[in-house]
Amino acid sequence: MRILIAEDDDDTAGFVERGLGELGHVVTRVADGEDALHLGLTESFDVSILDRLLPRIDGIEILRRWRAGGVPMPVLMLTALGGIEDRVTGLGAGADDYLVKPFAFAELAARIAALLRRPPISDAPTALHVGDIDLDLLRREVRRGGREVRLQPREYALLELLMRHAGRVVTRTMFLESIWGFHFDPQTNIVESNLSRMRTKINEGFDSDPIETLRGVGYRMRDHG
Amino acid sequence: MADLRRSAAYRIAFTYSAVFALAILILGAAVYFAADAAFRAQQDAALTEETHELIRSYRDEGLADLRETITAREARGRVDSFGYAVFDARQHRVAGSLRLRKPRVGWGDVTFIDPVEGPDAARALATDLGDGLTIVVAIDNEALEKIDGTILALFGAALVLVLVFSAGGALALGAYLRRRLARISGTAQAIVGGDLARRVPVGTRGDEFDDLALGLNAMLDRIAQLLDSLRQVSSDVAHDLRTPLSRLRGEIEAALDAPADAQRPALKAALRRSDELLSLFAAILRISEVEGGALTRAFAPVDLSALATDLCETYAPAVADGGRTLACDIAPGCAIQGDRELIAQALINLLDNAQAHTPPGTAITVALAQAGDRLALSVADDGPGVAEADRARIVHRFVRLDASRSRAGNGLGLNLVAAIAAAHRGTLTIDANHPGLRATLSLPGIA
Repeated sequence: MRILIAEDDDDTAGFVERGLGELGHVVTRVADGEDALHLGLTESFDVSILDRLLPRIDGIEILRRWRAGGVPMPVLMLTALGGIEDRVTGLGAGADDYLVKPFAFAELAARIAALLRRPPISDAPTALHVGDIDLDLLRREVRRGGREVRLQPREYALLELLMRHAGRVVTRTMFLESIWGFHFDPQTNIVESNLSRMRTKINEGFDSDPIETLRGVGYRMRDHG
Repeated sequence: MADLRRSAAYRIAFTYSAVFALAILILGAAVYFAADAAFRAQQDAALTEETHELIRSYRDEGLADLRETITAREARGRVDSFGYAVFDARQHRVAGSLRLRKPRVGWGDVTFIDPVEGPDAARALATDLGDGLTIVVAIDNEALEKIDGTILALFGAALVLVLVFSAGGALALGAYLRRRLARISGTAQAIVGGDLARRVPVGTRGDEFDDLALGLNAMLDRIAQLLDSLRQVSSDVAHDLRTPLSRLRGEIEAALDAPADAQRPALKAALRRSDELLSLFAAILRISEVEGGALTRAFAPVDLSALATDLCETYAPAVADGGRTLACDIAPGCAIQGDRELIAQALINLLDNAQAHTPPGTAITVALAQAGDRLALSVADDGPGVAEADRARIVHRFVRLDASRSRAGNGLGLNLVAAIAAAHRGTLTIDANHPGLRATLSLPGIA
């Protein structure tokens, strides 16, 4: 996949470039707002990582002009620590995701993977199937091996998110953002405790666990059960 | 004088006086001209009437009788100040005692010879009687001029009075405005000069100046509060980040000297410690962002009942995993104007505290109730509680009671909750729950 990184901090940009390169992506790196604007408008990328503060033109303005110019590529915005207001303006300007610096590379990689395979909005499935687990999105019912599993609303939401990203990592912060709408880390174990309950219910009467725990990174649903 | 011209207070007062004087002037002129015109019309009507009577007398009785009538009228005294003259075709006066040259037929302003005053102006109506005769009835302008003169004198006096009083009033008003404003600018000068505690004196009348003074004082208080908060953050960063940073440095130094196979766990420990530092930074910055108040611009209605119920359901498993119980007593339909995530964070921090500082088996209760126009969102436990002397202290930054020093945490949790409460124009109170502790967020509700 072709990825554009617009980041003026050499260390951060280098560390992201190396990491994404190792994952097999083709990375183009720019350190200047004008270059980023130009490249985004003239060349085609699968996803872009855009710093909020860039020399000459800032990230928000670049994003606005890209969107005004009809550039559809998913954009992940990077911002300095804190900045609740920054997040609001970033998402308002058309960013698809948002990450606060400093970040763990695993977090960035998981979010990039999610953005790269984000299905078009029109393609809305009514059911999800991963391995022997079936999820009926309309009736909000879960079956494993044909047997119904009763889940609480939160547990259902956790499972749904994992199944939508089957085979890919879902990080703790991704759970917090999409299920609870929290763009901050509440520093507690609500994700872990709700997930472990859901896991117990899913696995009851089965030998295998379809959910992998990646310590310090997040969780992943096994694609081939 | 230059000082007076520069002063907005005097300028306003004098402009007002000038406008007032101009209004008097215009009113005077209007009254003068209207009265003059009305008197003239009245005079002309009287002349017409008199002339008609005399003409009737001539037509009925002839010239001799007309002469008699005129003489009789003149003899009656000049009650109406009428003067009469009848001229024949040769311009000779044949009746009446009014001395003047025969005027043209119709209306006209004439000059006659007053036996006492000499030449005098008069309004005259000359009418052709036929037979070469012309009758002239005239009225002295003196009465009219007197009335006009009286009106002018009255308004002239009024104008002078207005000018004198309004100039005095303008000076007094200007001085008053300047005195009131001088108090405000005096305070501003004092603050510029470094006396940051100075405030604008507020009068007892509650007028516009007092409102302004109150507004300015509120602004100054807010600025002082922000400065305090900023100072606090810098000293917090200086003092409380130094310890973990030097510890991190020590660990890295020790790892460098350690054998290669021991370096990996040391690196992991260092990573963990730097994550802790970053979250401490994030917490400090978040508190100052909340205290800064800029977030209130993005406030929107938040369904507090739904949020509290949601968090209760989310937390129940985690609380149960820790061996405690969580009960929820949420009144439906409570809403506030605020930031959903900040309120969520406040409630989460309170829930975390209730879990972190109590033994297993503790019962925790989240309650939301309406109290007048305010909403009380509380988290209570039946744990060991906090000594009364410490209750006010634990809300402060980096305060950690000895009992909890060994646990994870940065001593910022309750401080953030208090900042969030303040940003929502609410309060955080910590009191005893007999047994245990209760933390209550009191927030203004919306209908």
